[in-house]
Amino acid sequence: QLVSALHNLTRHVVYRGLARAEDILCLFPENFHQNLKNLLTKIILENISAWRNEAQASQISLPRLVDMDWRVDIKTSSDSIARMAVPTCLLQLKIQEDAALCGNDPVVSALTVELSKETLDTMLEGLGRIRDQLSAVANK
Amino acid sequence: MGLLNFTREPVPEAVSGDMHNLNQLSAQQFSALTEVLFRFLTEPKEVERFLAQLSDFATMNKISLGPLKNIVKSILLVPNGALKRNLSSEQVRADFIALGLSEEKASYFAEQWKVNSPTLTRLAVGQTLMINQLIDMEWKFGVTAGSSELEKVGSIFLQLKLVIKKGSQLENVYVELTLPQFYSFLHEMERVKTSLESFS
Repeated sequence: QLVSALHNLTRHVVYRGLARAEDILCLFPENFHQNLKNLLTKIILENISAWRNEAQASQISLPRLVDMDWRVDIKTSSDSIARMAVPTCLLQLKIQEDAALCGNDPVVSALTVELSKETLDTMLEGLGRIRDQLSAVANK
Repeated sequence: MGLLNFTREPVPEAVSGDMHNLNQLSAQQFSALTEVLFRFLTEPKEVERFLAQLSDFATMNKISLGPLKNIVKSILLVPNGALKRNLSSEQVRADFIALGLSEEKASYFAEQWKVNSPTLTRLAVGQTLMINQLIDMEWKFGVTAGSSELEKVGSIFLQLKLVIKKGSQLENVYVELTLPQFYSFLHEMERVKTSLESFS
């Protein structure tokens, strides 16, 4: 019962985003033990940003990118043509499934994608547009 | 028949007969047929159109379609092999002469080959195997307003949808990135572009 009560208190503080001591203190009932109240408030305040970050990190989301690697290969020959020198990019994305669904053991899958130079140029155009849109939003 | 450039395997019997028939065509007829052939080679998906043009050629020149198709099959052996082996136009000409085609026609064909080979090479390269090719990318970004854990959040997320060709099917992959991840992804992709450009 005690643990459950503490849990509810901390969840409430994190949910509301209470950041000041006064806000937390006034959650306690009138006749609560003074020193205990101050101690609990102090501990909660210390941990609050860590808890908020963790809640944010584990909120439901689409699968998340956790890592990314790339390499550039030169294709020299194939069944359709004996000699060529075509550069191509292999991109490996490590994607973690929704943390909320997997509990403590999130599944990380690796997806390898091949991009030709043309595809990469188009992708960079798209990413550049995203960056421009982001700065437009940030500057508003 | 000496060693051919476009193939290491023995050529089917019918080919020399077909070349003999080809020699009977006038220069004008041969050039018209060559044009039809190269139009097909540069646009291999246009099978219907190719067959229609062959049939027109047959009617106009009073040749039966069946034998014409066999002749065309024989002729096409050379450019297909030549493309795989990066042959020069002299080698193509030499091969046609070795197969029995007249010098004049062989030179004409080889000349057309030279003109069309950049397009044909690019097509062949394009057909080369690609693993999990990225076909398309869509994105949206927005702000997370709140969640069951946190009443007010205000964090920006970016969602990417990548359309990937796995074998013959298309697969959609959804990924979410934080802002710092996005910037580092953009930075890495720019590095890839520089690397690809230095090899082109």
